[in-house]
Amino acid sequence: MNAKANKNQVTSIEPAYYQAITEAIRKEAVQILKDETVVGVVGYLPGRRKGTASPALVTTVEEAEKLIFSPACVNNLSVYLTKAKKGVLKQGKVGIVAKGCDMRALAGLMTESQLQREDLFIIGVVCPGVYGFGVERTGTVTEANIARKCRECTVHMPEGADVAAGTHAELADLTPEEAEEMARIEAMPQAERWAFWKEHFSRCIRCMACRQVCPFCYCEQCLCDKNRPQAVESSPRPAGNMAWHLVRAMHLAGRCGGCAECERVCPMDIPLNLLNRRMAQELKELYDFEAGLTPVEKGPLNEYKENDDQSFIK
Amino acid sequence: MPQIITEQNLRNLIDLLVKEAKLVVGPKLSGSVVLYEPLTAGSDLTLDALPRRSSKELFFPICEDILSYKRENGAMKVNDVDRSKFPETVLIGAPPCDAGSPAILDAVMSWDYKDEFYLERRRKSTIVGIACTKGDDACFCRAVGLAPDAEAGSDLFLTPLKDGSYACKAVTEKGQALVAAHKNLFAEGAGAEPVAFVDQAVEKLDLVKIKKWLEDHFEDPLWEKIADICVGCGACAFICPACHCFDINDEGSTDDGVRRKHWDACGFAKFTNHASGHNPRDVQNKRYRNRIMHKFKYYDDKFGKTLCTGCGRCIRACPVGIDIAEILETINTKHD
Repeated sequence: MNAKANKNQVTSIEPAYYQAITEAIRKEAVQILKDETVVGVVGYLPGRRKGTASPALVTTVEEAEKLIFSPACVNNLSVYLTKAKKGVLKQGKVGIVAKGCDMRALAGLMTESQLQREDLFIIGVVCPGVYGFGVERTGTVTEANIARKCRECTVHMPEGADVAAGTHAELADLTPEEAEEMARIEAMPQAERWAFWKEHFSRCIRCMACRQVCPFCYCEQCLCDKNRPQAVESSPRPAGNMAWHLVRAMHLAGRCGGCAECERVCPMDIPLNLLNRRMAQELKELYDFEAGLTPVEKGPLNEYKENDDQSFIK
Repeated sequence: MPQIITEQNLRNLIDLLVKEAKLVVGPKLSGSVVLYEPLTAGSDLTLDALPRRSSKELFFPICEDILSYKRENGAMKVNDVDRSKFPETVLIGAPPCDAGSPAILDAVMSWDYKDEFYLERRRKSTIVGIACTKGDDACFCRAVGLAPDAEAGSDLFLTPLKDGSYACKAVTEKGQALVAAHKNLFAEGAGAEPVAFVDQAVEKLDLVKIKKWLEDHFEDPLWEKIADICVGCGACAFICPACHCFDINDEGSTDDGVRRKHWDACGFAKFTNHASGHNPRDVQNKRYRNRIMHKFKYYDDKFGKTLCTGCGRCIRACPVGIDIAEILETINTKHD
């Protein structure tokens, strides 16, 4: 797939590249705060530890001048916008720094009437990739430390942003690890595949980090918190763990934008994005639909058509 | 007289303990993560990485049955868990930030209500701690009064030496008994030089001053500043060696089921949700404030100890990069 030479393909993304994005973000953020286009900007600030970053809501020019974009800016910040989650929007129009993958979440949230485009000023990042989990934070991104999701990124350009920070660059010759892992699991006999997930889910501690970082897990009453009557066992045991992750995968079908935040934050390394990706593949095959590319009126699972595929009814 | 044990003999010791039908638990590679898991042989032990979850689960499991019930011929029969069946356990290879956790938690578990599940496991366990030579930039044990070579909580304490063997110190009677029962694996002598510890980025904190500031600043703009980004998951609490909140759920049907105790976290929105619908910690920064208050004020008020071992797990795992050491440093610099 990468055989075609692309002039934007390089073997490493140097710190200067991220620095240029940082400068562009600061300039925009300062401007929209100064002219009162927005009441705040959701972006990233540097962490205490070298090469780390944290989400932040900045409301002053001084703070905006400290915003950064680095390979450690992994978070999908759209989670801070939904009412049920953090709801920073209630104060007025808000600026948000968004990578291509985060833009998909924003588009999905607009589709689901959780956000209005006019309430947002989107500073898009032309993102060349971010760090994977637990890698060396050298400042330079290479084949060795790039996140798994970035290896197959198709959204380097943030479509639909108000402004775009950065110029297009991407790493050359990245192997699609996740696609390969998908193929490996697809090829397994059913019993083996079941064992694979059982093993992974047995480690789940139900910390709910997957749910809490997910822009689409905005239900005010999660099925998994219900205990009168209990719908899914809330104790971290195999049955409840399996039920929780499968319920969640089903509920995200046709909605998940593929930011893979659930997988990134899992303290037990459960490859959750494989489930989401598998469901996305189903939606593509059944309805020729990909979630969150642009805001749409209705997703395929929100409407009925006479010619809908019904082969799954057995 | 100081004693040493070679790495091979440490592994042999595990083999012997397993043969003696003891439950031996230590850091072991499980899938892609290192966890405290039952060791089936000495070769299972891996001391390269801090386990992803702390060793508290040995005494305070992620989930345990505390009773079962069944309706039989119209009458409800309740069965208690037979705690005398809990196995004799040896925890081996826990660094001071993990080995030190029971030394903190024993106080709350044996306070007004005796948690017999926890206490029975504690009675039946021996902890072989090991000095830590593997720290990273999230570690801050020195800042909270521990150290990479702190013996608190350990029954037997091992210090890695440059020749690959370990200096041994029996800290308690349990530790002495473990050595005495396997004398031939230990040799007398001081051994080689110890392996150097890793420097820590966070200076020692003034915990008294931090506590004083917390006492006076239940309401403070700082809480919004540091905690508005918290997304309210339980990752930090679950992997923490000192967090010990739990929930109890009856699972099954009205006729046949199990009462289970499992980990809970004060970061969850429903943690303090009252039956009336009122929630005194209605926003995330109040929940995060509770986490800090409990660790550095409330627990100290009640038990004279800090509820944190500085392992840095919450810093490494926080989905949004909240850094408790940075927060403590910030509070440490405040004078008002």
